[in-house]
Amino acid sequence: MKKFIQIVAVCFSVCLILAGCDNGSSSSTVESTGPQRDTVIIKLMAFTPDTLTVNKGDTVVWINQDIVAHDVSHFPDRAWHSDTLNPQNVFVKVIDDSSSYFCSIHPTMRATVLLKK
Amino acid sequence: MKRMRKSMNWLAVTVALILFVPAAKAQSQNPLSDPEIASVAVTANQIDVDYGQLALKKSHNADIRKFAETMISDHKNIIQQATALAQRLHVTPKTNAMTQSLLNGETATMKTLKAKSGTAFDKAYAQNEAAYHEAVVGAVKTKLIPETQNAELKGLLQSVVPLLEHHTMMAKELASKF
Repeated sequence: MKKFIQIVAVCFSVCLILAGCDNGSSSSTVESTGPQRDTVIIKLMAFTPDTLTVNKGDTVVWINQDIVAHDVSHFPDRAWHSDTLNPQNVFVKVIDDSSSYFCSIHPTMRATVLLKK
Repeated sequence: MKRMRKSMNWLAVTVALILFVPAAKAQSQNPLSDPEIASVAVTANQIDVDYGQLALKKSHNADIRKFAETMISDHKNIIQQATALAQRLHVTPKTNAMTQSLLNGETATMKTLKAKSGTAFDKAYAQNEAAYHEAVVGAVKTKLIPETQNAELKGLLQSVVPLLEHHTMMAKELASKF
């Protein structure tokens, strides 16, 4: 009987741990009110997606997967901007407002982050 | 004035094509090997680094200097990646007629650019950059990529095309300011 209780306890613990680990992946099925994280890939001289729609307070991560350095700069005045992102470098920013941005090193690379209405 | 500018643009393009295309045509009957393609790729990038370094020495124009810095940084980056890939694949870049033609073109262009100063230099540098990148894009697309055997080397060349096309656009925009 004691052994049975121990097995039940272990199973229960494993279930709790798995439920905890699953929190991240279940966010796609359970509606979350917390900030989300989105990714923009920089590759082949383009930001992908070139238009990203997010909620205020969400975090956007830009990953430079291109073969040369880029940056992420508010268009047109660089009111906010990343450091130079060498290949595989990452820039993270919490989005508070809609804005267009560009690569100031290669100025015709442009994209937009929009806030959901 | 507009006509004059247009003729200068055509002159720059013509010069670049004269320097670059004959070598490609001459070798069109004899496809380049991967070691030869590696040599052409590294040389073409190094030449633009050299032009950029000359611009930093000679120009005081902020737009020219910023463009030159970008060219130096981007093309050095490509050289590093091409060299690393060649080493990993045990490919030793092999000098060939196309490499030599590129180097001859560089010598002639350097002579022309070094003889100029001030705005005349800035204008000539920007026009040469537009023409040079346009010629290189053509050669990469129609000769180097089709003739490359190794998939990784081909992939690197394919990934460089959007960058070179972007450089061409930047150079044309820069040249239009003079």
